[in-house]
Amino acid sequence: MTRLVAALALAGLLLPQTASAFTVTDQTGRRVVLPSPPARIVSLVPSVTETVFTIGAQDRLVGVTDFCDHPAAARQKPSVGGMIAPSLEGIVALKPDLVVATPAGNRHETFDQLNRLKTPIYLVNPVSVHDVLDLIARLGRLTDRAEEADREAIRLRQRIRAVSARVAGRPRPRVLYVLWPDPLIVPARGALVSELIALGGGDSVTTDGGQGYPRYSLEAALARNPEVILIASHDATRSPLVRSKWERFTEVPAVSAGRLHTVDGNLMHRYGPRIVDGLEVLARLIHPGAFEKAGAR
Amino acid sequence: MNGPLSASGARLAALLIGLGLVVALIAGGALFLGSARVPPADVLAVLTGRVKGVDQVVVLSLRLPRILTALLAGGALAVAGAGFQALTRNPLAEPSVLGVSSGAAFGVIVAQVLGLGTGLVEAVGIAACAFAGALVAGVAVYVIASRGGGLPVHTLLLAGVIVGIFFSSAITVLISVLDFDRLGGVVHWLLGNLGPIGPASLAVFAALTAVGLWLVVGQARPLNLLALGEESAQQLGVDAERLKRRVFAGAALLTSAVVAFVGPIGFVGLVVPQILRMLLGPDNRVVIPAAVLGGGAFLLLADTLARNVIAPAELSVGVITAFCGAPFFVYLLRARAPQAEP
Amino acid sequence: MTPPLVECDRVGFAYASAGAGAFAIRDLSFDVRPGETFGVIGPNASGKTTLVRLLSKVVEPSSGRIRLDGADVAGLSRPEVARQVAVVPQDVPRGFPHTVEELVLMGRYPRAPGRFFESAEDRAAARRAMEAAGVLPLRETPLDRLSGGERQRVMLARALAQEPRLLVLDEPTAHLDLRYQAECAALLRRLGREAGLTVVLVSHDLGFAAELCDRLLLMAGGAAVRVGPPESVIDEAVLESTYGCRVLVDKHPISRRPTVHLVYPPA
Repeated sequence: MTRLVAALALAGLLLPQTASAFTVTDQTGRRVVLPSPPARIVSLVPSVTETVFTIGAQDRLVGVTDFCDHPAAARQKPSVGGMIAPSLEGIVALKPDLVVATPAGNRHETFDQLNRLKTPIYLVNPVSVHDVLDLIARLGRLTDRAEEADREAIRLRQRIRAVSARVAGRPRPRVLYVLWPDPLIVPARGALVSELIALGGGDSVTTDGGQGYPRYSLEAALARNPEVILIASHDATRSPLVRSKWERFTEVPAVSAGRLHTVDGNLMHRYGPRIVDGLEVLARLIHPGAFEKAGAR
Repeated sequence: MNGPLSASGARLAALLIGLGLVVALIAGGALFLGSARVPPADVLAVLTGRVKGVDQVVVLSLRLPRILTALLAGGALAVAGAGFQALTRNPLAEPSVLGVSSGAAFGVIVAQVLGLGTGLVEAVGIAACAFAGALVAGVAVYVIASRGGGLPVHTLLLAGVIVGIFFSSAITVLISVLDFDRLGGVVHWLLGNLGPIGPASLAVFAALTAVGLWLVVGQARPLNLLALGEESAQQLGVDAERLKRRVFAGAALLTSAVVAFVGPIGFVGLVVPQILRMLLGPDNRVVIPAAVLGGGAFLLLADTLARNVIAPAELSVGVITAFCGAPFFVYLLRARAPQAEP
Repeated sequence: MTPPLVECDRVGFAYASAGAGAFAIRDLSFDVRPGETFGVIGPNASGKTTLVRLLSKVVEPSSGRIRLDGADVAGLSRPEVARQVAVVPQDVPRGFPHTVEELVLMGRYPRAPGRFFESAEDRAAARRAMEAAGVLPLRETPLDRLSGGERQRVMLARALAQEPRLLVLDEPTAHLDLRYQAECAALLRRLGREAGLTVVLVSHDLGFAAELCDRLLLMAGGAAVRVGPPESVIDEAVLESTYGCRVLVDKHPISRRPTVHLVYPPA
């Protein structure tokens, strides 16, 4: 009897050890096994950095990239360099127990190196709005801030629904979104911006251009008679002179109606919580009439 | 046209008229092709001023300027390549060997990365930044290559390659600093960005190209004499140093104008002069003028393909010139024995 | 006494790349009379090639003066010099792509450098030159298909197309076999006699130079060692001290011109 108890007790002692191993599946389906929830995270993805700050887990963030500039506090974190060629030494010196990265922005070589150094990597790859919300939830579980993450996700979903409600039933204007003007690069099938345009009540004219963000023919884009043209700016200080190139196409409905707008690309190209800000901006530009009364943000 | 053409004004004129007709045909055809799918009747209506609206924008503001740009850029690149090949007596020489393409590209990317005082950059235009970069590279090559008042050909080639590598590496460094949003756009630009440019820019491009063409085409006869070797050419009365300076300046000007307005496009300057030499003989007085039209036709064909083959998406024209030009060049090399075999 | 066609007056020249004090030509004075065949001989690095460059204004003297028909070469433009002085080089570069006629027409450049295409008169002059050099039947042939001797005659035709007063041949027999050497000699003699051309012949082939030339200039180390008729220049003592090896001077059995035999070291 005593031996059985001792055996059970021993088993009992051992079990929690394996049970406390922290195993998660990342967004690409890989299993990531950690000894415990990560307390020192290096983020190689600006949207992940933003999300971590949003859910209040920034204490666990020990390293970011040069491009992690939002919120402002993120710039105070130590940087390990750029997304394409981060400093491996820099990463290692921060003694992370987890590195969060994305195959759509970081390089395979970086992953290989980190694997060799036996540093656990958590890969994210949000493509749709659903993926972004899912990413928020995952980061919440990863950093033991699941409650805050879920709350944030709920808030974001409410805002999305609010937008959908306001634009529901209205005729969908044809929208041309210019990610890059020269050469013309636009969102097509599967691009997050295309989804945002659709959610915002618009009908993107470039969804037939292929996958992702292809190079597109300017004449095809204009021949679709877009009613709204949105030009993404990549820093807050982009001057209106870029617009003047488009303003000469006076025959295009968007130009003659004065519906040629510049939008802040950071809101829509970073797959973090601010895409909903981006959605609201888009929706207001696509359906200004639906937002006349000061709506709650 | 088999075998070498003996140079005479009449024959050259006939050749140029023939090429001109070909160019006009291609240009005319290109007006009807495009991803906006304007029916031919509508295209004609636009051309005769009977129709306005988006079709007019497409045909007159987009297709026509783009066709003209392609003709100018192709001609400029082909002449720069032909001149440089004759100058260095090296069939592998092409405008990007001068290092000027890379310098221009670097100028553009610097402007895009720094977003230098937005008002200044946009007002002066990306084109000017490319030009500045090209000039810096060209001057660097010239300074590095000059020896005691002269410009020896082998140092010119070496200097061009070195400067080109330097700026390409600098571009790579800058790209790694770019955030992901802009990366795609810049990388696409580096593959060549032939698009419709506004009438004022087109006029400037045409003027710069005209100056560059005048500098190179005018030297066609002394360039022939250079094939004898610099010393023999000098003994026939050619001022070799002045000739080299003029052709170098002309080729650099042509290349930087092209990169400034349509981005770096390779292969045209290398292949078109070679094809023309194989078909028309080695006389530069025939090849270089023919290159003005032949290069234009080549690039226009490539661009028409690039903007139609996966419509409405577009390929970079640099991809087409490489994929189509290379096999054709190989075919020519094998089908015809080269004019001169050591 | 007719004035000389070429006058070198204490000419000195140093290449910029050489060290200070390394002169390729030092205080060289001689002249060439119109209609004569004048030979320049000497060991390697004696300055013969540099002299050709000076005469054709490829380089200019650092000191002294060169006069062509009384006019200082320094004051003449390159085309002006090329109208009077035609240089026949040893060969064309490898891979030279043009035909014979195209090459000969290049000789017309100095007459009208501003023209884009050659005139009818140019073409006629080129035909005459090709005929004189005996290469007219080859006019459509690309140069790389010709033998060494034919190429040399083609280059001579090009030089003649310049309608020069002075013909400078740089090592004309360097790549020629015996038969072509004889042909070359015959051609040069005929040109000298019929066209009244003045010829400067730079050669390391002492026998050939002695055979053809009215006078010789022996150079060494950039300076003149001796000028005069072959008999006085081709002298055992002079040659031995210039070339640094033992020689025997004899007379050609038929022409009675001096011939040089190298005394080989004993086996």
